[in-house]
Amino acid sequence: MQSVVIVGGGTAGWLTAGVIAARHQARIQAGLFSVTLVESPNVPIIGVGEGTWPTMRATLEKMGVTETEFFRHCDAAFKQGARFAKWTHDSPEDGYYHPLMLPQGFTQINLAPHWLGTRSDRSFSDYVCPQGPLCDQGLAPKMITTPEYQAVANYAYHLDAGKFAPFLQKHCSEKLGVRHVLADVSRVTQTEQGDIKSVITQQAGEIEGDLFVDCTGFGALLLGKTLGVGFKDCTDILFCDTALAVQIPYDTPDAPMASHTISTGQSAGWIWDIGLPTRRGIGHVYSSRHCSEEAAYETLRRYIGPAHRDRSIRKIKFRGGHREIFWKHNCVAVGLAAGFLEPLESSAIVLVELSAKLIAEQMPANREVMDIVAARFNEVGAYRWGRIIDFLKLHYVLTQRTDSKFWLDNVDPVTVPDRLKNLLRLWKYQSPWFFDEFDRLEEVFPAASYQYVLYGMGFRTEVTPEDNAATQARATRLVTENAAMTRKLLSQLPKNRELLRKIYDYGLQPI
Amino acid sequence: MTNIAIVNSEAHKTLRVQAGPSARYGDAQRYVAVVVSEFPLLAVHYPILFSKDSDTGAFYCGTMLGFDAGENLFLEEGKAPETYRPLNLQRGPFYTAGSDLAIDLDNPRVEAAGNGQALFNEAGQPTPYLDSIIAVIRELQRGNEQTKIFIETLMKLKLIVAVNIGVSFDDGTKRDLTGLYTIDQEALRCVPDAAALDLFRRGYLYLIYLMIASLKQMPLLVTRKNRRILQGTEGLGGGLGAT
Repeated sequence: MQSVVIVGGGTAGWLTAGVIAARHQARIQAGLFSVTLVESPNVPIIGVGEGTWPTMRATLEKMGVTETEFFRHCDAAFKQGARFAKWTHDSPEDGYYHPLMLPQGFTQINLAPHWLGTRSDRSFSDYVCPQGPLCDQGLAPKMITTPEYQAVANYAYHLDAGKFAPFLQKHCSEKLGVRHVLADVSRVTQTEQGDIKSVITQQAGEIEGDLFVDCTGFGALLLGKTLGVGFKDCTDILFCDTALAVQIPYDTPDAPMASHTISTGQSAGWIWDIGLPTRRGIGHVYSSRHCSEEAAYETLRRYIGPAHRDRSIRKIKFRGGHREIFWKHNCVAVGLAAGFLEPLESSAIVLVELSAKLIAEQMPANREVMDIVAARFNEVGAYRWGRIIDFLKLHYVLTQRTDSKFWLDNVDPVTVPDRLKNLLRLWKYQSPWFFDEFDRLEEVFPAASYQYVLYGMGFRTEVTPEDNAATQARATRLVTENAAMTRKLLSQLPKNRELLRKIYDYGLQPI
Repeated sequence: MTNIAIVNSEAHKTLRVQAGPSARYGDAQRYVAVVVSEFPLLAVHYPILFSKDSDTGAFYCGTMLGFDAGENLFLEEGKAPETYRPLNLQRGPFYTAGSDLAIDLDNPRVEAAGNGQALFNEAGQPTPYLDSIIAVIRELQRGNEQTKIFIETLMKLKLIVAVNIGVSFDDGTKRDLTGLYTIDQEALRCVPDAAALDLFRRGYLYLIYLMIASLKQMPLLVTRKNRRILQGTEGLGGGLGAT
């Protein structure tokens, strides 16, 4: 395998290019391997997803990006998880956190049954982790003395996807030896066996490659249009199909900014609210089968308030689902070309990272073994998309809202995947932890995430005092330690915006 | 509060400054920022380390005088110091304001009259004390710049590494010293020849070895602390005996 050609240059294309080029840097420098990215000079990027997972820290670090530069150039900010408001009940006080820190002692002990057993007034997340209070106070997850990419409280990023792709492009071209070709693909040529042989471009002629990565977005030019791989729709499970997005400036440049994503349930969907340093990105994701466009616009306008009534709102139609397979012949799809789900848990960018990493690590040595790697990739891909769909549906299926058909339809058993149904039955008697099924090496959502959503939304698992007796002393100690750690972090950590300003002024140290 | 004024022979003609080391006047510090030109003088008494400015995260060099907040184990009230006193303690209430020498009039060392050091003599000329302060401030200004470049060079070569120092004292207590950094000796051995020669020519190799050697002062610092602990207990024992 000597040449990888990536078609499409959005977040997916450049992340994939960077991950592969960094992993195979020595071979690139020795002239034995090449990564080429072909990008249309005319097609605007969708720029979907302004939230990442904590995995992005390791991804950027491995690519050799400095975190300081990333913050300075991508309008990036810290994200310590998400707060889901009005998902369980349509009332102003309803809400829970899905933080990014694991519950205390998670690898040794499951605190969920202990929390259930105490019938504590404290929320599950506050009982087991300090991150909710940190978010409530708008604090940063680290200090200026914390080295780059290291955390005091686990964090991911909010970022401007429109700035992130050009930032990665510059880094990949200048530092990692990725060849950047600005050209429109007019035709795709194939071998007799069906492999993709080359892409013919209007401006740069024919570009041949051994492996093609389809990052062409919803269109899926290579995997979908050329190789005919079908699309597996999941709108029978997740109903949302439209997003209305708007950008809102802060009242003052130093206005406080949240260090978590705020997701608020609406009558036919939900609204995301993401704080970047220079603006808030807000969007209404809804089901057009449950809500008229006019009503959806009105819901969004009501959320952003009368002062911003006249801001331009961008409408994005999407079809929830994914390709039936992701790697066929010598072509693998990453990003929107592989599929798309509503951005409820920032799964879009993390899937790109995981896919790129798998391609980079498993780069087939030659065409002969490629089908083995492809089969693996497809198996992992199907598993991941399935688990993400289940996890997103979990947010809906636990609702107690009955105020609209959207929420009522969401709890209709025919819309719930069997696997999730079974898990929910099981979780009535045992809480998700290790020995559950989320045991893959690179699980997108670990058992901890299921715990935060389940118990955040009022789900009850039956526990008896006898269940907890063996681990009670240790659990009590961990809960006390968590309270102490929460107090300590609340007193130590700076405000989110204050730390960002310091990063602009002084930078973070590499060690 | 600070009340900074440019030093002036008219306004400050009679001003006096308590120059000697005293806990009351701010010498009770466990960690003091230092500059590279002090390293030879420091290394024979104290550990020299790197740490980060809590406000900017920037690395600076510092020397350890004690373990607990406000503890300078080399300070003996009313006695002339036996060991080198870092420039940042020698400077007392003086600062620079651009190219001018400035003084913080609210600093407890500063007094209108008394037995402190005068800044100016009868004729309005700077006293030897003021001359020495001017030299200290110049040394610090030059030194801060040199130290910054020294640290930048080490950072580029990845020669700085975090160090966790755990110490235990005779009273059974322990301290875990965090936020400290030192020379990465493993990385130092792997420095390419050209870079090593450059470090040597710029005098940095000397500074590097002074820093490494100065870590050997750590056990001696612990001994000093233990002696204080013992003195404290004896004092307590004596007190109990008297009642």
